[in-house]
Amino acid sequence: MVTSLRRMMALIAVVALVAGACGDDDGGGDTTEATQAAPATTAPAAPAGLAGDLDVVITWSGSEGEAFDASLEGFRTANPGLNVNVIQIPFGELSAQLTQQFASGSGPDVTVALPGLIRLFAGEGFLMPLDGLWDEWVGAGQYTESLRGIASADGTAYGVWFKANVNALQWYSPPQFSDLGLSVPTTWAEYEDVLDALQAAGVEPYAVGAADQWASTQWWDPFLARVGGAEAHNGLVDGSVSWDDPRVVESFQALGDFIADYFPPDALDRGFIEALCARTGGDAALQNQGAFVNLITTGECDPDLVPGEDYSFFLMPKFDESAPLVQFVSGDLFAVSAGTDNPDAALALARYLGSAEAQAVWAARGGFVAPNADVPISVYPDANDQAAAELWPRDPGVLAVYDLDDFIGGEIQSALREALQDFFRDQDVDKIVNTMVEVDNRVRG
Amino acid sequence: MRTVNGRKWRRRPSSAAATLRPSRLLLPLAFVGPLLVVFGAFYLWPAVNTILGSFFRWGLLRPWSLFSPAEWDFVGISNYIDTLTSPRFWNSALNTAVWLVVFPLAVTVGALFIAVMIWQAPTGQRAFRTIFMLPMTISLVAAGVIWTFIYDPDFGVLSDLVRNLGIDFAIDWGPLEFKTAEWLSNPGTVDLGFAQIPLINISLIVAGFWAFTGFGVITLTAGLTAVPEELVDAARVDGARNSQVIRHVLVPALRRPLTIVATVSVIFALRTFDVVWVITQGGPVQDSEVLAVTVWKQAFVFLDSPQAGTATALAVIMSAALVVVAFPYLKGLLRREDA
Repeated sequence: MVTSLRRMMALIAVVALVAGACGDDDGGGDTTEATQAAPATTAPAAPAGLAGDLDVVITWSGSEGEAFDASLEGFRTANPGLNVNVIQIPFGELSAQLTQQFASGSGPDVTVALPGLIRLFAGEGFLMPLDGLWDEWVGAGQYTESLRGIASADGTAYGVWFKANVNALQWYSPPQFSDLGLSVPTTWAEYEDVLDALQAAGVEPYAVGAADQWASTQWWDPFLARVGGAEAHNGLVDGSVSWDDPRVVESFQALGDFIADYFPPDALDRGFIEALCARTGGDAALQNQGAFVNLITTGECDPDLVPGEDYSFFLMPKFDESAPLVQFVSGDLFAVSAGTDNPDAALALARYLGSAEAQAVWAARGGFVAPNADVPISVYPDANDQAAAELWPRDPGVLAVYDLDDFIGGEIQSALREALQDFFRDQDVDKIVNTMVEVDNRVRG
Repeated sequence: MRTVNGRKWRRRPSSAAATLRPSRLLLPLAFVGPLLVVFGAFYLWPAVNTILGSFFRWGLLRPWSLFSPAEWDFVGISNYIDTLTSPRFWNSALNTAVWLVVFPLAVTVGALFIAVMIWQAPTGQRAFRTIFMLPMTISLVAAGVIWTFIYDPDFGVLSDLVRNLGIDFAIDWGPLEFKTAEWLSNPGTVDLGFAQIPLINISLIVAGFWAFTGFGVITLTAGLTAVPEELVDAARVDGARNSQVIRHVLVPALRRPLTIVATVSVIFALRTFDVVWVITQGGPVQDSEVLAVTVWKQAFVFLDSPQAGTATALAVIMSAALVVVAFPYLKGLLRREDA
């Protein structure tokens, strides 16, 4: 009897293990179902009485995670029957984890994502079209067509802006400028005069921080937008402009000259945070970064600094005064899974996250630019955040270009980051152009 | 009929297995079965799946499956050809080769030196052993973070030390260029004529050495306790100096643990990922990219140009290299177990 029982137990254990091992394949089988279940409709209006579960993936943690939770509170209050599970994935792992989840048919209902990833997933049918929401928002003047284009793939909107950022801001210390008798430049010539004056005074013009690869793209994008223009920038994204296009080559040449003249020798040795603290500590006068630096400066380097007084920014001037204004932006968007089990709730959340109501909560906490034009400037807590929010392209006449490498994504993004680091070393225009042409041709066929 | 030890044995008419009733076979199978299932599901099947997947073009967005032949994109050995003709592969292979040469050598020699020092210490042997083993108790990711701080140009301990002791210098001597700065961006190069080796790899190997050498110290310390004291005493009575005792007595006696330390170090070096990823992510540019980082990027980063098939081909090549490297050790181990 005991022997039979043991045999039975062993048999059950074997069956359980086999069943467990096969479970993965079942998940894989769902991929096709999820993909095929993708609705081809646009977003409906948010229904009342939402219920069930909703998984939301974010990348923010710490104070930013708390700020997102606070932003979400209004949605939770309005939908008491809905259980919203917020799942945090480190930014560096987002792409790999989401890819595996969506490919196995178990993607989150709503997820944060950059435009490159949104375009990639949209191409695979993993995401729900959101044109209905965008028609309303653009019609009401809350967003522009330019911003809609950034959230779109092949003419269909799949993303919702939530946390925005304005780039090409030259962070500096007003007291230091005052001590050196410098004023904020408004033209390219004045800009170079300021940099020359800093060098003449024995001050390192820039802290760069390109040991973090993404920081190198913060330099390439404004030069491309200012020298090459928005058309060349967006053409590189969709492949209609080649990397050996004269506008692109000229942008690389301008950046190369700038690096040779004004970059420090340790540009690749410092990470972004070290460069930031080096500037606030007085080792360098300027840093070219986004608006989000405002909050990090006091958080990471010196809590006693006062935004707007001890540190401020000016926008990198136009390279060509006659060129149209192009605003270099970046930020975090949300996308909705096409295979979500709770489409009404997922769409309602996407609508909420794109609203002024949700964004105003975080904007009031600082370190955040609300992409929705209805968020009033007065809600921002300090002078720097307000000035950055003023630069956000609310006017439909202002073209917005998104952080190029994050917009492209994948191997081209990785290759561009590496090539830019190499370019920081040798400023070899031919080499970087040839590298990018070769990678682009291989990836896009 | 066969003869064993001079006695004649007659084989029984039927083997023991043949006389076992089916019901008596079930019990041992039930014991071994779960292990076989685990082995098959989590070791054998992934290995077979990886090898098969290396003959197809696919990416993580559309994973290759043995059970979906309609979606197969068979490319034969193209993934292997693409890998072996890719400049990225050869760059990573060169960096990995630096690890393969320097890391095992440093760990083996360093661990031997430390183990002998501890062995000869008059007191506190246990405390020293613990101290050298401590880095092993933290994850390689944490070790990478620690060494990122140490190498920091502004507030890193190493940079501070170099500055305060006034020993910052640069060498430009023949093929060697080196400077005591920019540890994680460009500390220098060694020009081999056909290729330049970025010395940033050495910066990373130092971090790996710190994290891993405890293993060698413990293994060799355990080996030293088995060395007969009479042997060492006899050598000393014969007038052998310390260096001669180490060379002619200890090293031969430690041959087996030294082989283990060297082999495991080689395996560590070939598959190293954590330390490199945390500290430099293979950069700047591709200066410190090793093969495991290339596999990761091809599979998880280059999503727009599906290269998971190429990544699996590279993984198969790395596994084959591991088997070749580990074969002498495994062979010796199996022979001892047979004996």
